[in-house]
Amino acid sequence: MGFLSADNQNEIKHLFEGLAGEVQLIYFTQKESPLFIPGHECETCKDTRTLLEEIAGLSDKIKLEVHDFVAETEAAREHGIDRILGFVMTAEGVKGKVRYFVMPCGYEFAVLVGSLLDVSLGKTDLSESSVETLRTLDKDLHIQVFVTPT
Amino acid sequence: MAIENEHVTADVIEVNEFPHLAQRYAIRGVPKTVINESVEFVGSVPERDFLAHIQRAASPSGSSSEL
Repeated sequence: MGFLSADNQNEIKHLFEGLAGEVQLIYFTQKESPLFIPGHECETCKDTRTLLEEIAGLSDKIKLEVHDFVAETEAAREHGIDRILGFVMTAEGVKGKVRYFVMPCGYEFAVLVGSLLDVSLGKTDLSESSVETLRTLDKDLHIQVFVTPT
Repeated sequence: MAIENEHVTADVIEVNEFPHLAQRYAIRGVPKTVINESVEFVGSVPERDFLAHIQRAASPSGSSSEL
């Protein structure tokens, strides 16, 4: 069973008409196993994959790649994913890294949709002065925003 | 911000999925933002204030602050 109702899908499809270019969602998960291995559980990995598949199905400009976090360590390292669930959102024109370590539901779903649109455009709604200031930064910055499901 | 600058990595992290991070960064309220382990603040802030935090984290000293 999916997460998005028909109404939701129609509304999101309409929003995705604003996608300028192709966006890649690179998702890392674990192989589904009947065995419970303490310390290796990922309660929302499966649901997140389902949700991302639904989102990707709403626009041919959203390309979803699914990787096995354990078997594809090189890919995980390349994308800076050191834990699951985790996914990277990228597109041509995106300069830094945008990563999600969250199942995007509730408020985070709206954030995800907004990010998909920004990433596809390769630009943000930030003011020109903010963008100018950001351009001058030459030190690596790691911004971590901690959230809870809403 | 990560879209605009190659030096920026932006992560959204679900606290309940990663309790060790919640403990490490003493998450008692959300959203909590941590920049380069040196600047942190709780709550949504205006763009101008967010940028000020970024600039503080990017300064040579990367001064510590908590609001």
